[in-house]
Amino acid sequence: MTEPARERCITCSDEAVEAVVVELDGLEAVVLVAGGHERVAVDLVPDAAPGDLLLCHAGIALERLERTLQTAQVAQSHKLVPAADGMGTTG
Amino acid sequence: MKYVDEYRSAELARGLSSEIASLVRPGETVRIMEVCGGHTHAIYRHGLEDLLPPEVELVHGPGCPVCVIPMGRVDDAIALTDDPDVTLATFGDMMRVPGGRGSLLEAKARGADVRMVYSPLDALALAATLPARRVIFFAIGFETTAPATAVTLLRARAQGTPNFAVFCNHVTIEPPLRAILETPGLQVDAFIGPGHVSTVIGTDAYRFIPEEYGRPVAVSAFEPVDLLQSIAMLLRQRAEGRCEVENQYTRVVRPEGNARALAAIDETMELRDDFEWRGLGTIPRSAMRLRPAFAAWDAEQLYTVPGVRIEDPKACRCGEVLTGQIKPWECGVFGTACTPERPLGTCMVSSEGACAAFYAYGRQRRPAEEPVGA
Repeated sequence: MTEPARERCITCSDEAVEAVVVELDGLEAVVLVAGGHERVAVDLVPDAAPGDLLLCHAGIALERLERTLQTAQVAQSHKLVPAADGMGTTG
Repeated sequence: MKYVDEYRSAELARGLSSEIASLVRPGETVRIMEVCGGHTHAIYRHGLEDLLPPEVELVHGPGCPVCVIPMGRVDDAIALTDDPDVTLATFGDMMRVPGGRGSLLEAKARGADVRMVYSPLDALALAATLPARRVIFFAIGFETTAPATAVTLLRARAQGTPNFAVFCNHVTIEPPLRAILETPGLQVDAFIGPGHVSTVIGTDAYRFIPEEYGRPVAVSAFEPVDLLQSIAMLLRQRAEGRCEVENQYTRVVRPEGNARALAAIDETMELRDDFEWRGLGTIPRSAMRLRPAFAAWDAEQLYTVPGVRIEDPKACRCGEVLTGQIKPWECGVFGTACTPERPLGTCMVSSEGACAAFYAYGRQRRPAEEPVGA
């Protein structure tokens, strides 16, 4: 699967982006977005776990998204979740 | 990274387009307002209007957070940078919004210390690297962005960062919606509700629209299939005689929103008595200020903010665009005196502004007999 070009508004505005959690360090998460890794604060989604898909805006995670088949494949390809869980259609 | 293939399926879009066409009567007009600037951008970017029957008209609403900031607040921010010890940090779009004294970008060119950040947390980190200066974050945005500012303030207090402050201009979505709904002669039949704002405030927050104003709402995500599905949901409600709030964005939005985000906002901010909106005038209890407990980080307590009020340029019709009364191309300066490179009005600044979105994606498709900007 190719990763679509990054569409994040460089100026923030009201856009939010979806990103997969790679690792956690307290209330900071390293997330995978198009173009590389970023750090976001997870104060508002404190039970986030590696492999979760988060909706992120202005440097913080606002909410966790349901994991679709496609996002599960991405998470699995980055070895963030085991295959048995990763192929589920909801998270 | 986006996970969007299933939400951009041409087959699904064609099916929804056919369903939408089957739900309207020939010759009638159904006007649907998308409140959120992100939706406006997506509608133009994906050419969704081309997939709708002529009976369905999309009206662009006031939900671009940059577009609704009045020129006076930009001048207030520039006034803060007159203090030589102040570093002002804000989102890039806000640096380009023209005020009466020019934009923040022009103030930077004149020597003011203005920095672009992606997050208020970046501004807090900047403060730690500039201990001899005061870093003020010029905060704008609806309930989508307010949680980031709230979390930053809570961290500033926890860390005891003394040289950080917030110039708070956060606004709330309900008051401008009520202002639009109470516009005499309103010609909007249904609303596409904001997606990301709703992640925070929940879908229940819009129940007043069907219950008090008799218009259905569909809270929508941002991909083409999402938006077409939301339009179909609204038309289906109409066909079945229902009028309620429906949630198309179920993969992230819950009826009650994110309780932690709402609590963070409530702990750090309170409603102002009133706030001036571009194009909508002064609306009571429509914006946030910091609570007294956060006065040590409140730029309006730490500095004298002049409270500038400036009339919009006469040629600029942002107000009418923001309230859905005219389309972007009906403004006399659209594409001529006002362009994304040199915006006159706020709707041309942000990519979510209706004018900028139409300029980028829609103007080539207009018939030659309706010249853009004429």
